[in-house]
Amino acid sequence: MAESESTQNSVPKPLQVAKRLEKFKTTIFTQMSSLAIKHGAINLGQGFPNFDGPDFVKEAAIQAIRDSKNQYARGCGVPDLNLAVAERFKKDTGLVVDPEKEVTITSGCTEAIAATMLGLINPGDEVIVFAPFYDSYEATLSMAGAITKSVTLRPPSFSVPIDELRSLISKSTRAILLNTPHNPTGKMFTREELNAIASLCIENDILVFSDEVYDKLAFEMDHISIASLPGMYTRTVTLNSLGKTFSLTGWKIGWAIAPPQLTWGVRQAHSFLTFATATPLQHAAVAALRAPDSYFEELRRDYLAKKSILVEGLKSVGFKVFPSSGTYFVVVDHTPFGLENDVAFCEYLIKEVGVVAIPTSVFYLNPEEGKNLARFTFCKDEETLRSAVERMKKKLMIKKH
Amino acid sequence: MEKLSSVAKALEPSPIQQLSFLAQQCNAINLAEGFPDFVAPAHIKNAAVLAINSDFNQYRHVQGICDYVAQKMKEMHDMSIDPLTDIVICCGQSEAFAAAIFAIIDHGDEVIVFDPSYETYDTCIRLAGGVPVYVGLDPPYWTLDPYKLEKAFTDKTKAMVLNSPHNPTGKVFTKDELEAISVVCTRWDVLAVTDEVYEHITYDSRSHVSLASLPGMQSRTVITSSLSKTYSVTGWRVGWAIAPPRIASAIRNIHIRLTDSAPAPFQEAALAALRSPPSYFKTLRSDYESKRDCIFELLVKVGFKMVFKPQGSFFVFAELPETCYLSDIEFVEELIKQAGVVAVPGAGFFHGDGCCSRRYIRFAFCKSNETLTAAAAKINELAEGDGRLKIFEHGKLRVPT
Repeated sequence: MAESESTQNSVPKPLQVAKRLEKFKTTIFTQMSSLAIKHGAINLGQGFPNFDGPDFVKEAAIQAIRDSKNQYARGCGVPDLNLAVAERFKKDTGLVVDPEKEVTITSGCTEAIAATMLGLINPGDEVIVFAPFYDSYEATLSMAGAITKSVTLRPPSFSVPIDELRSLISKSTRAILLNTPHNPTGKMFTREELNAIASLCIENDILVFSDEVYDKLAFEMDHISIASLPGMYTRTVTLNSLGKTFSLTGWKIGWAIAPPQLTWGVRQAHSFLTFATATPLQHAAVAALRAPDSYFEELRRDYLAKKSILVEGLKSVGFKVFPSSGTYFVVVDHTPFGLENDVAFCEYLIKEVGVVAIPTSVFYLNPEEGKNLARFTFCKDEETLRSAVERMKKKLMIKKH
Repeated sequence: MEKLSSVAKALEPSPIQQLSFLAQQCNAINLAEGFPDFVAPAHIKNAAVLAINSDFNQYRHVQGICDYVAQKMKEMHDMSIDPLTDIVICCGQSEAFAAAIFAIIDHGDEVIVFDPSYETYDTCIRLAGGVPVYVGLDPPYWTLDPYKLEKAFTDKTKAMVLNSPHNPTGKVFTKDELEAISVVCTRWDVLAVTDEVYEHITYDSRSHVSLASLPGMQSRTVITSSLSKTYSVTGWRVGWAIAPPRIASAIRNIHIRLTDSAPAPFQEAALAALRSPPSYFKTLRSDYESKRDCIFELLVKVGFKMVFKPQGSFFVFAELPETCYLSDIEFVEELIKQAGVVAVPGAGFFHGDGCCSRRYIRFAFCKSNETLTAAAAKINELAEGDGRLKIFEHGKLRVPT
């Protein structure tokens, strides 16, 4: 009983943080970035551009600020933006959704994911993820009390082992978390794979949470939203954001699209996580989403050019580079350089070569599975990419055994 | 297919947001929602525009915010806060509070909350698996009864929430009350989470005292606050949590998974806001004080029972006179229909079956003088010869329960 502990007790009781925090540590990105700054390394680790978003979107934000759109927006989103999201979704998938009942605006896709998990997952529910996965998923799932199960996508093709996926399904499986185009591998789920996943979901009455933030960075094939497959809209939450498509990652404008009964759960959690999303930036997002086709074509062309600089460079240096169909990431096998694992390799790369990559072991439930791989990003201007390649050509030596 | 989490199912849509909707439909003057209808300060808006034009649009953490916040806490409360370790920038106080609760509350932990209180605390606590335990403030002055407070603590009590200046009553907790709170928190080794968003809006030369500034409290308190109310930019979503390093680190790790970062250009603009000269705060206070006086006089004149004058925040909690047999919700509906003015029924702020829970109406006066004058005119139109509202005589024939 607390009363019996007098102030004479000189050892202070440590202030207790919640048990769920066992999963919450500083991210690998923060660690690598600090190291990068210390060594003046070129950062091809963190997944955000070193160039800025388009003027027409920035101007729309400025106009909104000047037009006094600076107070709380409606919690589920500025109506115009909900509408623009619905229109864009129809253009991309053919699906017609109700902007008022089926679209929720959030502070980035990160929050959309958090709200989806907190609103739709019960403690003890099982959720299946595909490893490697974006490192936030696991921590957020544990916040919702979920049990995370993973099925690994393996190099070189990172294709979905459908039998393994089927074997993981139990009576407690509530949802499958899908990310396509996929971070970190750049894989894009094919129609066959999505159909197979869809069948399993329909058979077992499972939900799908589909993170599609890189949908406009689809290079080798068309992006397919699983929600558009037969029988799937009713059980899918489609998640996306402005950041990657419009090089405005710091604006934190994201959204969740789902049928009304699922949207309701997402909105409940959202209203208690952040209450509302930045108003002037929502207004600007309307202009962004209504951009002409030429914007998206130019975006793809620019990124394809950057991709080829990086990929050719990495290959010439001696990495084994896996094919990446989408996103602005490529994953490589670093083992030719003789370092014992991915973390050791990435630290070596920063300190001795002056380039940052991300060790992928953090993207797996079992880090061992990722130890041969590292992730590079090409969301940087061409000069930066060329400089990074130069540094690697000069200083990255294949250790001869 | 019932796929909502059990917590989401238990939640109801926000009554405040619903009423706002009705008000919009009736084109009513909105004295319900707590955000200004006057423009945000020019120097702050200009800073945001500059930030967008200067390409501050990618993920970012603006350390300068932490520096200024630490400085302010030193000036206002003589507290020593380390800007490098003790402060977490979040998407508004909303997210800071949610992240703090998730950082410290485990399933089954009890959290003491004063009644009446802002509706969000309850739901945040439940989302995290905690159990809110309510301690009623005693009307008509909303005083804290230390005996009632002490009785509420059990060995399951993990934390206590304190909102001062207080929404909805406008109470500013006195030094004595804060001391009583600190004594009992220390004795039971409990954490405090404060909501101090109205910290700069206090009246009659009264100062806001931060609970954490009391002896022994800094090491067990999480302070949450934001730009929103102080700088009239509720739609920008920039707030913070201040806590001892270990807890701040936990909050940061959760925040990163909830939203990853607050909107970048507004973080930059926050620097301009936080650098505002003392005259800014003086004017803020005096402007709000004269609005308070106007609305308070109006409510007295038209027959509300006005015993307690708001000491802080921009809300006044008006009590229906005994002659009025309408409940708070019924009164608000009549006010919308007959006067075209909307306020918030107090019931949503009370938890439990207190006798007073249906007797209060919250009016917000964070509105331009034009708005307040127009609202006053409309309300006065409903007055009888003696100046009192006709509505207060409604339902006279009904037998009170």
